[in-house]
Amino acid sequence: MSKENIINKMTKLSSPWADIGTILGQTSISDYMFYLKKFKAKKGDIVAAESKLPTGEGKVINVIVWGRIMEIISTNDFLPNEATKELTEENINIQDTILPLTKNDSICTVKNLGYTENVLGKKMELIPLNYPVSPGGAVKYPSSQDLSKLLNADMKSKNPIFIGNLVARKDVDVFVSADNMVSRHVLVIGMTGSGKSVWVRRAVRELMEKQYPILIFDPHGDNLGIVQKAKKLFPNHKIKLFYPKISAPKNNKEVIFTLIERLGNKLTEPQYEFLNWLLMNIEYETGSNLIDYIKILVQRSNTAAQNKRNKSSNGLQGASHTGASTMGVVARSLRKVEKKLSEMEQSNKSNMDKFPHLKFEELPDPYSQPEKIIAKSQVSILYLKGYESLPSSTIVSILLESLFNHRSVSTNVIPPFFTVLEEAQNFIPSKSEGQDGYPSVSTIKKIATEGRKFGVGLMLVSQRPYRLDETVCSQMNSYIILRLKNERDQNFVKKTMENWDNEEAKQLPNFANGQGIVSGQITNIPLTVQIKFDDDLTNDDIGDEDFINDVKKWEDNYVTKSKKILSSQFDKIFKSDQRGKTQ
Amino acid sequence: MSSINNNSSLFKEFIQNAVTSPSPKVQKNFMEVMGSIVQIFKKICDEEKLIIDLDYQGKDYWKKAKGFKSCFVDGGVYSNFLSSTAPFAIRAKSFIIEPEKSGKDREKFEDTVGFFGDLYDPNNNIYDLSEDPYEDNQLLTKKKDAARITFEMAAVVRHVYNKQNFKYCFLHGPLQTPIMPFSGPEFPLFKKSVVKNIIPFFKVNDENNHERHFINIYLNSIKFIQKAKFPIYGIVERTGSTIYLRNLLIKAVKKGVLAEHDYDKTVSLIKRYKINDGNLFELILKNCQALKPIEVEKQIPSKAWGEWQNQMDSFPKVFVGYIKTNKNQSPIRIESLTYPKKLNEDYEYILACSKLLPSYGFPVGLDIVDKAARIPSWLGKTAKGYYLKYYLKIALDGNDKNTITSALKSISHGGRSWQNRPKAGKVSK
Repeated sequence: MSKENIINKMTKLSSPWADIGTILGQTSISDYMFYLKKFKAKKGDIVAAESKLPTGEGKVINVIVWGRIMEIISTNDFLPNEATKELTEENINIQDTILPLTKNDSICTVKNLGYTENVLGKKMELIPLNYPVSPGGAVKYPSSQDLSKLLNADMKSKNPIFIGNLVARKDVDVFVSADNMVSRHVLVIGMTGSGKSVWVRRAVRELMEKQYPILIFDPHGDNLGIVQKAKKLFPNHKIKLFYPKISAPKNNKEVIFTLIERLGNKLTEPQYEFLNWLLMNIEYETGSNLIDYIKILVQRSNTAAQNKRNKSSNGLQGASHTGASTMGVVARSLRKVEKKLSEMEQSNKSNMDKFPHLKFEELPDPYSQPEKIIAKSQVSILYLKGYESLPSSTIVSILLESLFNHRSVSTNVIPPFFTVLEEAQNFIPSKSEGQDGYPSVSTIKKIATEGRKFGVGLMLVSQRPYRLDETVCSQMNSYIILRLKNERDQNFVKKTMENWDNEEAKQLPNFANGQGIVSGQITNIPLTVQIKFDDDLTNDDIGDEDFINDVKKWEDNYVTKSKKILSSQFDKIFKSDQRGKTQ
Repeated sequence: MSSINNNSSLFKEFIQNAVTSPSPKVQKNFMEVMGSIVQIFKKICDEEKLIIDLDYQGKDYWKKAKGFKSCFVDGGVYSNFLSSTAPFAIRAKSFIIEPEKSGKDREKFEDTVGFFGDLYDPNNNIYDLSEDPYEDNQLLTKKKDAARITFEMAAVVRHVYNKQNFKYCFLHGPLQTPIMPFSGPEFPLFKKSVVKNIIPFFKVNDENNHERHFINIYLNSIKFIQKAKFPIYGIVERTGSTIYLRNLLIKAVKKGVLAEHDYDKTVSLIKRYKINDGNLFELILKNCQALKPIEVEKQIPSKAWGEWQNQMDSFPKVFVGYIKTNKNQSPIRIESLTYPKKLNEDYEYILACSKLLPSYGFPVGLDIVDKAARIPSWLGKTAKGYYLKYYLKIALDGNDKNTITSALKSISHGGRSWQNRPKAGKVSK
């Protein structure tokens, strides 16, 4: 190690970096430990070490090795445990005694992130380390400005977007690459209340600034706040709020079959055969309401059954061998499907009625009118509340399939767009969940694999990552990992992410709201970030739960009050009923 | 007897005796003798009013004592060195603390004195090996002990010399060590530079080599610290000594209450039954009780060699007391060169410091400085490396073939290593 202070000699640095420690005697390529000056750094901080590396040409160059403090262990060898016991038992203030307080030694474990060449004028670009840092070297605390420069210089993005600050250094702004986000897919995971919506709002807002088309699948209405407030914040944007119309493409009766098969009764082989016959023979118009179509199917199968009983063969060519009872069973199953779908549609409407000030529109036909869904400076939110997972999956599959086809076949119809899929575990369930065959799985898989080529980006948001399809997750190139307490979820993260170590996993349960690890191609250095909270985009209708207050203010409505009065009167009558007792 | 049964260290003693003399008769006899001895000494202590009760109110005490500035001293020696040399890495540390202050003003770990290199004059027989390896080892141990004792005392001397404003100064170990074993003719002199380093006020007389002898340096140091403005105590953790009980008996003889014949018999009995101050006063004293100091002579002229015999009387007498700091440990020995002016107050401070280690029952400040003073192996090994080169240089300068061979061997071989052990069972490829 040169006696010169290499780092401080770099002319590009904003200010000299403080010496905070010395590297201990054993180092490796992946990590090192150093003795920390008291209170000079904390867990999560990015630090820099002066070191030397061999080059391929037999030269040795001076470098700065960047790393993150993963753990700090403090020990006071001069504070015996039994002394602390005495202090506790006798309620003695340690400050009053002769016990030493200044002999705390702090040892930090640092995980290496990479190195930059510290030759004047060179770009601060992180390169993977291939030689351990020199034991005994000085560890420095880079200035916020220089650290910010490093994080953002290395990103190589034409369109960096601001997402927040480093948790450990609030004064260091963190940007991610919008280019990689919209093309290479992002997986956002975190338990309830961990800040997934905080991240989604942040990302959506930044992309809106760039006029990028966004499609959000919203099963809970978490993003309705954007509709309410974004109109004021983004007056030139179109913020569209859609409710689904269950429809299918003409040539994709498979989707309809799956829906009927899953939502209806379990059918036998001959019954399936008859269902297939119905689907093949009864025309379905692309974009028409699926419930109406199923109603026709019910009507036709009933008629067919009636004809069979009457021994008439009208309109039964090809199904003449099917018995009337088989047709009846299929008709009942179809009625069940129709009823379920209608209930869901009704439930969706009821939920929409809770927001009378919001204008919901029926989802346009994605085959014939995709431009109404995807357009420059437009955010489209598909409100799925009320729909069970299978119909939701069908809706998502049909819509995405259609939009993807538009992009892949002729790129002039709709611009590239970014899709946000909330509650992703309902749309891409893992095989172990026993939900295979969901139509959305294959569609999302296709987009995850090929979307980059056609400008279709995905952001999957989930609170149960271990329930997600692993193939789709492996196609995600960037990750936002927020608070996770469930061990299976943490194991999923370890399995899915490369270069993930246990020290990082230890942080997961302790993150505060909006704190998480940002990793992957949107930022080359995995960063622990406090995501900026866009409170001006939050939903006033669905705020934080305040049930205690709700109960305090609770008043029974007129019907309930009357019911209670009547019920107590009847109770009196029942008590005086002597005959009832003798019986 | 009940206190014997309730007492842990005596129980250990009892077990040891039981193992070496398995007869139940012998065990019973030991318990009887011990019980009787305890009764006799308890009576003597009571009659002489030697037992005092100390007060300890944890929280309140420390609130009151937080303004006291105290110093705790201990020495450390790197002991893994060449067989024929004296210590070459030695230091004495001081842990100085004033609780009511904050940060660096509150506590200080100070290398009060330290030395790397040859302590003893090379013109002596330091590099010569004795024909008898046992004798050689004995001498080496003595050289180590003398160095440690000198440096520990030198640290105390330095504090007195610098007129520190301590409330108390404590030394880990006896304040005066019996130095008769060091009076042998073969014992080397300290180098001039060492003497100057450890006793700043001492003027080395080139004419008189004896002045650089350990006994003389030690005597001068002890006499110097007698002038201290603050109380200095040496505290001994494990005491197998019989000095207090023997002096109690001598006192009784002087008073005429014990016949000289009985004194001799009692001393002989104490030896046979391995009774010492530690296990005896453990039974007599209760928790938080102390024995007032009595004046004792540590140096016995008749046990010293030749002309050093006369020097023994020059050593001041020592005041020795005991404090029982908890229920389960034997009392700790407290030594001072003067009778404590504020006995209860001083002993209560020592008790309070020991109460911070409730199981160990030893002043925590001394436990702390003991850890701080140890010379870590990395430091010792580095020093050893330098020393070996120095050793070779001397050998080459001397041009003696055997010494050169010995020095080269020392450098090339690190000593016996477990790595050279023959492997068994498995054939190494």
